[in-house]
Amino acid sequence: MQLLPTTVVGSYSVPEWLERLKTDYHRRRLSAAHLSEIHDAAIKAAVKDQELAGIDIVSDGELRRDNDVDYLLARMPGVRAATSSKSFYFDYYDLTVTSPLGTEPVGLAEEFRFTRTLTERPVKFSLTGPFSLSRRLRDEVYGDRRELVLALAHALNAEARALVEAGATMLQIDEPFLAGYPEQVGLAVEAINVVTAGVEATWALHVCYGNRYARPSWEGHYTFLFPAVLDAGVDQLVLEFARKGDEDLPSVAELGWDRALGLGVLDVKSEQVETPEVVAGRIRRALKVIDANKLVVNPDCGLRHVPPAVARAKLSAMVEGAAQVRGQLTGAPVAVAASRQ
Amino acid sequence: MLIEVRPVARLRGPKAVDVAGPLTELLDVLKGSDVDLAKVRVVCDWIQYKHNFRGVVDVRQIAPGTPDEELEIAVDLRRTGEGSLAAETTALLAGKGDPAGRVWLDTWSPGSEGCMWAFNRLYWLYLQLWEKATGHEYESTLPGGSSDATNSGSVRELIADLVKSWDDLAQRQSLPDELYVVELGVGNGNQAKAWLDEFRTVDQENGRGYYRRLHYLMCDYSPHVLDIARTTVGDHGDHVSSLVLDATTPTTALGFLRYKVFLVYISNVYDNLPCDEVVNIGGQPFRVDTRAYLTAESAAEISESTGVPVGELPGLVQKLFQIGPELLAEAMPTCFAGTDAAVDFWRRTWQGLQRAERFVPLPGLDSYAITPALSGEMLRPLLDAYGDVRINVNNGAVASFADTLPLLHPFGRLVCHDLFITDVGQSRTGFRGPGKYDGSVVNWVNGPLLAHIGSRKGMDVRFAPFAHRKGTNITTMTAQVRD
Repeated sequence: MQLLPTTVVGSYSVPEWLERLKTDYHRRRLSAAHLSEIHDAAIKAAVKDQELAGIDIVSDGELRRDNDVDYLLARMPGVRAATSSKSFYFDYYDLTVTSPLGTEPVGLAEEFRFTRTLTERPVKFSLTGPFSLSRRLRDEVYGDRRELVLALAHALNAEARALVEAGATMLQIDEPFLAGYPEQVGLAVEAINVVTAGVEATWALHVCYGNRYARPSWEGHYTFLFPAVLDAGVDQLVLEFARKGDEDLPSVAELGWDRALGLGVLDVKSEQVETPEVVAGRIRRALKVIDANKLVVNPDCGLRHVPPAVARAKLSAMVEGAAQVRGQLTGAPVAVAASRQ
Repeated sequence: MLIEVRPVARLRGPKAVDVAGPLTELLDVLKGSDVDLAKVRVVCDWIQYKHNFRGVVDVRQIAPGTPDEELEIAVDLRRTGEGSLAAETTALLAGKGDPAGRVWLDTWSPGSEGCMWAFNRLYWLYLQLWEKATGHEYESTLPGGSSDATNSGSVRELIADLVKSWDDLAQRQSLPDELYVVELGVGNGNQAKAWLDEFRTVDQENGRGYYRRLHYLMCDYSPHVLDIARTTVGDHGDHVSSLVLDATTPTTALGFLRYKVFLVYISNVYDNLPCDEVVNIGGQPFRVDTRAYLTAESAAEISESTGVPVGELPGLVQKLFQIGPELLAEAMPTCFAGTDAAVDFWRRTWQGLQRAERFVPLPGLDSYAITPALSGEMLRPLLDAYGDVRINVNNGAVASFADTLPLLHPFGRLVCHDLFITDVGQSRTGFRGPGKYDGSVVNWVNGPLLAHIGSRKGMDVRFAPFAHRKGTNITTMTAQVRD
């Protein structure tokens, strides 16, 4: 992998037409088979967009997922949804654990296999973490938050094993709710270690301040992660800095994080497209505290809420900004992404 | 022929409205005309505003110039007793809705672009001149003579909720140093003063020290109004800033407060912002286009008072919009002896202002933009659920609402007091179109549309009757982050 590799956090722009079709499915106006075909086509397009932008490590754009919770929990044995329809696809189901959670994979490996066939580039696959999943579950079984979180972690561990068996080498745990409960970071890390246990992959942990409907859900500082996160069995922390500013960046290094850092350089809550120079500036500031060999360049979070054209432009700018800095560091010429030519 | 009687609640009781008489009269006129009766809709409203933009009867073309062209005949049941229904209907049918003598003031356009709203803007820009001419302040024209925004019970409730939210954040060490509150449409500043006075008292009592960190931003379209408001809240000087702001685009001036505002307060602003209407007929959506006019009688009276020929009145009105009454008086001293005379012209024209309508088919809801950023597709759930219905789109209110939400802190809240419909079905049983309120427009705000748009932006939007004054039509809308 080249210096300053570029990647995405997970979700990709969901066009309005796809939102309408997903909602039509939930209103029983579209069959599951047709929706699946639509998803296949949309994922092909998303992967192609990332390749054209020049992204080194791509994802399926999470385009099959209604949101960051239901795609997993609603399919998990032991979890029951209060209703089986939604007025808008992105809404959360009202979910309850009604019997002990199973550890049979729910089929994400098949989704990975499909994406794997679309590209020669490395594919990153993300899973919402057990702590965040637990925040959207009503518990009628475990009677204890920790027990519930750990049960979810065991289920995710089985899912991760199936993914690796399907060929996945880069897995990411997303904890979008953790910043709202900073005092529970210890529990979150304990559960993350259950998820990653015995799974041979490069693991990333993404913690942001929320991106539901392109809005932050919380405010605060990443210092809350420390020192607990130092015990997490992950290889990379993926954090947002573009929207929040990089005030917390020195703390990440000072507080002992010596592994890779996924640097958020694109504000995914704004439709304003960053210039490559802005991206390069953000990377250069990070290089003052993080070694270049440990830096991965990515957006702050998923690009789900930005329009497709904006998503493409942002990714291209990110790739070009990273290339500028890389060129400066290595003397290599700056390659321009196909989509910017 | 389809006949729709909307004000059903007025058909019973001691003051029951007579429908049969006017309808019989109307049907007699139609029978005597050469109109294709199979292509006529009759709609009966009861227009609650004494001063409004409608005649007793209107004849509207549906899909004009197409093979599907039909007619809608709209009747105001409140005024059918005036005795002119048959004569006016005959005249309108003869002219296909354009009887001789009307003086058109603008061209056909969506309702939000009509000159009614230019008059509305003029009112807020030159409010002091209007108030001087009428001899009363605008707030005294409100029901009860004051704004509900200054109601002490309402203010206390708002502050209690806010302080609780700040306490929770402070406990989690997540409360920012700067605490922002924004008011859009501050009027004379009485609401701001009531809020700030109460807040200071509460803060002194509970000793939290939040007042020291508070920044209250007063925003209004009218510099005159802001001047007055600044004086009103002078006691809170360091904690208050004021900004001239178009309420439909708050982030243009307040972008620096994105995700930082804990309370956005809006009272009686949304009903006063430009509004289109969309009507669904037989599953086909139409945009209601409007065109402003003066009746022949109004035009003659204004012409006589100004010495301007009737044919030149439309140009004079446009000039008034462009330069305002003071410069108009200076520019045309032969017509206006001074500013007061120009304001008199403005008031007479406003008083006489009427709107004709026609329905333009929309090839698809996505071919219509509610705002530059919001497609007409947002209307689909409302139209699908209610079939044939006419709804306010409240483009200005939608723009303002959608552009305000990004200002809210994750634990922030938007609180709005206004005239909301809270169920689309209310548009079927009452007149929800515009009326004249002093020199400004009053209109109903489509609550379900705002709730739907809010929902698509991750907000929980709720409506409740204003709890602190009995018998009011005012509804409180609250929006805050869902999930």
